[in-house]
Amino acid sequence: MKHTNDKTPALPTQPVQLPQGFSTETIKTIAVVGLLVLAFANWSSVIGIMVNAMIFIYRIVGHNFGIAIILFTILIRVITWPLNAQQMKGASAMQEFQNDKEWQAIQKKYAKDKEKLAQEQMRIYREKGINPFGSCLPTLIQFPILFALIPTITYAIGSTPLSLLKLSSYVYQFQNVASLLPLKSNFLWMADLGLPERTTLFGFAIPILAIIVGLTTYVQTKLTMPPSADPNDQAAQTSKMMGLYMPVMLFFFSLNYASGLAVYFITSNLLAIAQYSMMGRVNWRNLLPSGQSQVQKPKK
Amino acid sequence: MAPLRDRRWRPGVYCAVIRSTPGAMTPFDRSTIFSMRKKILLVAVSLLAVVLLSGCTGSTTWFGLSTSGDVAYLANNTAVHAIDVKTGAELWSFSGEASSGIFSFGKSPKLFVVSPIVTADGLVIISNSGNDHDMYAVNPKDIPDPQKPIPNIVWKFTNAKGHWIAAPLIVGDHLFAPNSDGKIYVLDLKDGQSVKTAIKIIEPFKGIDGQPGRLWTQPVSDGKRLYVTSLDHSVFAIDLETYEIVWHKDLGGAIPGGPVLGSDGMLYVGSFAKQLERFDPATGEHKPVLDTNGWIWGTPVADGDNLYFGDIVSGVGGYFYSYNTKTGKLNSDPVKLDSEITASPLVLPDHILVATEAGKVYAINAEGSTLWFEPTKGKEYTTPIVAGDSVLVSYIESDYYLIALDNNGHKKWTFPAGK
Repeated sequence: MKHTNDKTPALPTQPVQLPQGFSTETIKTIAVVGLLVLAFANWSSVIGIMVNAMIFIYRIVGHNFGIAIILFTILIRVITWPLNAQQMKGASAMQEFQNDKEWQAIQKKYAKDKEKLAQEQMRIYREKGINPFGSCLPTLIQFPILFALIPTITYAIGSTPLSLLKLSSYVYQFQNVASLLPLKSNFLWMADLGLPERTTLFGFAIPILAIIVGLTTYVQTKLTMPPSADPNDQAAQTSKMMGLYMPVMLFFFSLNYASGLAVYFITSNLLAIAQYSMMGRVNWRNLLPSGQSQVQKPKK
Repeated sequence: MAPLRDRRWRPGVYCAVIRSTPGAMTPFDRSTIFSMRKKILLVAVSLLAVVLLSGCTGSTTWFGLSTSGDVAYLANNTAVHAIDVKTGAELWSFSGEASSGIFSFGKSPKLFVVSPIVTADGLVIISNSGNDHDMYAVNPKDIPDPQKPIPNIVWKFTNAKGHWIAAPLIVGDHLFAPNSDGKIYVLDLKDGQSVKTAIKIIEPFKGIDGQPGRLWTQPVSDGKRLYVTSLDHSVFAIDLETYEIVWHKDLGGAIPGGPVLGSDGMLYVGSFAKQLERFDPATGEHKPVLDTNGWIWGTPVADGDNLYFGDIVSGVGGYFYSYNTKTGKLNSDPVKLDSEITASPLVLPDHILVATEAGKVYAINAEGSTLWFEPTKGKEYTTPIVAGDSVLVSYIESDYYLIALDNNGHKKWTFPAGK
């Protein structure tokens, strides 16, 4: 008869063998894609979770939907903090890679042999632990949140009969929202966070919030633009283009959709600047016309 | 070792199909260009997806539908259409004042969703639910160009601060127009040939959280008082001579539907508190007379001693109720239908028609419910109406905005035709 406390020799631990061709990065990519597919396949559930989270926050902050959106944005930022950090790390690693002397030498050496060059590139990626998708996968994960936020704000505020009706199909029973509805939709100078904002000044309807969205997005992209030793390289050009493209896009976006979404964009931009700043990656000189090529060393 | 050339897409391995190396990023070869283009494309597609998906929130609200007998009026977002109820042909349409060129730039788009109403003089009152908050009186008898049948504007009211969701109510020579800004605008109909202004604005109260109470539904009147419900849980009575609030009560739940005066002289109101409440119109004393399964959205309909209404039960559908005001009891068990009921029922001689969100129209009599009409697609939120010898049902997210059904639920015509 065996005693239960008999000591059996411990088996030697072996590293998990991944199938051939599978790296940790591949698995990460598959996990992200899987999450995205799962989110879009259960779209109603995603919206339901977000609507109920928003209403829950609204209730605990004393019935202020603007504050609820801001806190919700902070919550999203906290949850996705590791992803954002990884994104920054990935972008920074890619930037450093572009400036790497060994890599530049290899580029010159194999300028006419594309296949060898690619092989060398992947070798350096492996050696330096760079994931070429490292900077874009975390962004992709955040897309469902952004997509879901639009109906979430529209339904939660319920400014129109149809949006209020939709809310009824998403809200969980335990929330007992009957006494809470309709949610208070005004915030600061805005009469209704469920509608696009316009403020009449001197007889003109000015989209103040959309302008703030455009400005903060511009500042955020400028400040967080990875420093480049060679401003003429493709990555720097793309970053520069995005620095102009994104503010314009988000401006027009805020112009036409619920102003609550614009509150989200502004909060998100400010939080991004704060996060980058805390990680020592904000490049304040980028705001200056001649500060594009200034490189600031990140905090260790 | 992995082969250098491969037809499969593998990071770091030259792929013959795309003639590039996935993941490779060098400034000198075409794979870089491919990668850059891919990135730009990815960003562009993502942003486009954001815009497109944001449109998935769908319509702002459902359509307004009313009739003056032989003409039906449909407010279908972009315009108000006057439709011949016999043929389904459009008689005229109205989409606001014409503005073109530089003057149309930056103008808020018009949005017509409120059921138009017709005055005794034949003017049609049309509300623009867009950001301009205009209300128009148009004269269908005054159409300058028969080739482009657009009625002339008789007057226009522009002082409202919120969106028009509720249809106004005509009492005598006045138009009582509840607005989302929490005010009831009282307009003079007598000299409708000139530009109108509000003769009196009733601001009943501040709603919950100090925000103006949103008035989303047409009030009712007994000739002496006006009874108004608010989305912000309130029911109030206004004296029509003094415009003073006689009483005001909180039901503890939003009231998107309107009140109804029963044959017993009492006022009945349903709310999100899942109760039908009976009010004494004189004093405002009230008590719940029926607990429902879900939120009551549509205005109950009175027919003799009976009240008919539906509710919405999240994840379940909707129930139809037939309540007897004399006995204070349900005439029969609530009838469970396939989806939510936001529209008020329509009382016909032989049965009650109930439209559900799924677009189905049920005929309900003492024996139970029968599926009367089922559309191929579309959603039904607007209360059906009887016009001439047809029943008109309005749909959103469908091939047509309006369908005319005969007494057996068979299609007679659709608007637009031929779809």
